[in-house]
Amino acid sequence: MTTFFNTILVGISSGSIYALMSLSLVLVWRSTRVVNFAAAGQAVLSTYLGYEAMSRLHNYWLSLPIAVIAGALISAIVESFVMRPLAKRSKGSPVESIAPVIATLGILGLIRGIAGLVWGNTFLQYTSPLSSKGFMIGHTTIPFSPLNAAIVIGAAIVLAFFAAIFRFTRLGLALRAASFQPEISRLSGIRVDRIRTIGWAFAGAAGALAGALVTPTTYLSPNSLDLLLVSGFVAAVIGGLESLIGAVVGGLVLGVGFAFILQYIGSEVTFSAAFIILIIVLFIRPQGIFGRGGSREA
Amino acid sequence: MKRKSPATRFLISLGVGAFLLIASGHVDELRAYQGAQVAIYAIAIASIVLLTGYSGQISLGHGALMAVGGYAAVIAQIHWHLPYPLTFLIGGIAGALAGYVLGIAAARLRGPYLAGTTLALAVGLPSLANQFHILGGEQGLQFDVGTAPTWVGKDFTQYRWFFWVAVVMALAIFWLLRNLLSTRYGRRWRAVRANPTAAALTGIDIAKAKVLAFTLSSAVAGLSGALFAMLLGLVAPLAFTLTLSFTLVTGAVLAGVSNLGGSIIGAIVLVAIPELSNAVATHLGGSDRVTANLPGVVTSVLLIVTVLLAPNGPKIPRRHK
Repeated sequence: MTTFFNTILVGISSGSIYALMSLSLVLVWRSTRVVNFAAAGQAVLSTYLGYEAMSRLHNYWLSLPIAVIAGALISAIVESFVMRPLAKRSKGSPVESIAPVIATLGILGLIRGIAGLVWGNTFLQYTSPLSSKGFMIGHTTIPFSPLNAAIVIGAAIVLAFFAAIFRFTRLGLALRAASFQPEISRLSGIRVDRIRTIGWAFAGAAGALAGALVTPTTYLSPNSLDLLLVSGFVAAVIGGLESLIGAVVGGLVLGVGFAFILQYIGSEVTFSAAFIILIIVLFIRPQGIFGRGGSREA
Repeated sequence: MKRKSPATRFLISLGVGAFLLIASGHVDELRAYQGAQVAIYAIAIASIVLLTGYSGQISLGHGALMAVGGYAAVIAQIHWHLPYPLTFLIGGIAGALAGYVLGIAAARLRGPYLAGTTLALAVGLPSLANQFHILGGEQGLQFDVGTAPTWVGKDFTQYRWFFWVAVVMALAIFWLLRNLLSTRYGRRWRAVRANPTAAALTGIDIAKAKVLAFTLSSAVAGLSGALFAMLLGLVAPLAFTLTLSFTLVTGAVLAGVSNLGGSIIGAIVLVAIPELSNAVATHLGGSDRVTANLPGVVTSVLLIVTVLLAPNGPKIPRRHK
């Protein structure tokens, strides 16, 4: 029974990371109808910048917001300089739904390459002052550490922040309107382009936080977050790709699912499990848990 | 441009083949190796062109399908002791089977969903090799095609022989695909890609056409995987990385994604870029860091620029039928 609860705790912690990455993908999807495969690259780059900040300031808590702001800026740059011109050029062409995917892959490759040029392909340590030793309850150590707690709390804060923006602010309304009916939004005075860039910036911030929170538990290298991208995508599809809540629930479901597979089957299957879970979701409930009906068309 | 008949195309292939095979006698081992690499990449890129350029589907997981083909070929050799030309066939068949299953899922998905699903496949499938003892784990399995047969002549080097095999396979595949694409199947795929609604109204079963394209594309990818295994002399999870899948998509885009002949150009570019950027890096006195990352940067920039300037691929005069 203890193992069971411990597994759930582990799952919630890693699930929160997936939730953040999934949130990043969903925010981009909602604002521009693009799945941003460059999210892994953007998050890696912002984490490297956080690492740089850390090595100068010697303070993880200062480097964290720096990484997040950097992530938002990188994402906004990617949107304004590559994705927006591309959307205008490929509009109406047969490759309209494929070109953005390829462009994000190009950006992913470019960022990885640049990171490799600047920081090398070695594994760097980006450490957090929080202990990764589990809390003690009575005399037993549970597999849930202060670091895990910070991850869960960080994810919860970000989710609450985005939920509040989307629900209560004019910006949130504009974000929703611009993704839902760009033409009509433009007519009613919303600067759709700018709103989209803001959507991307939010997404970049969420991805950057995911990178900066997960890296202390592993290592940092130009492609250390690739797997996170796949998990984030699977989580987003489980949640329906449209819904912020769905992204988070999807992340948690996937995290707990992975934790059980890890506990009861073995670590080697996790990669394949992501694919199998994805296929099962797409066959059984292609619109995701929180998605509305209709087919999965771009 | 006038349409060529299958026979004309066959003669052209024969001519190109003869030229390449004779030329291979005048280059060193490294060039022969790279030549074989180009031929194998060209087949793999052709599989993407077939899928994306003709049926409008995208796959970021063709590296995994190459792995399926490669492993199938090696297993066929180890356990069934098949002669190697047959193992290539087995590789193609295995790829087709995997592609059929994936294609059924793929036909329901579009654009980003399909990209994400195939991405998960690219990450997930090669690691399966660590799971099953028969697949040889992290170390992989050896694939021994053997040295050149005696009838091709004495002093025939290993890579020159691989080059021959790869070129002959590539020409055969291109000839087959080129002819296939000018049949009604090719026309159906183009119709599905250009306008699915109009295609459906003319009575084309879109899902069927897409699944068929995916299956065929995977068969070609599987075959190229088997050839890739021959060139490397082994199959291992690390040979079929996510980067390989991305590389294939890059090659297809650089070549103009709706042009079969372009895959050869794409393949040449993919092999040339690391070579050229290595030369540049060495010239600049760059460190290992530069040598390791410059090719990635150059290909990525090319990819972004190509997509931005010509989302449909470089303009190539198209035949209108």
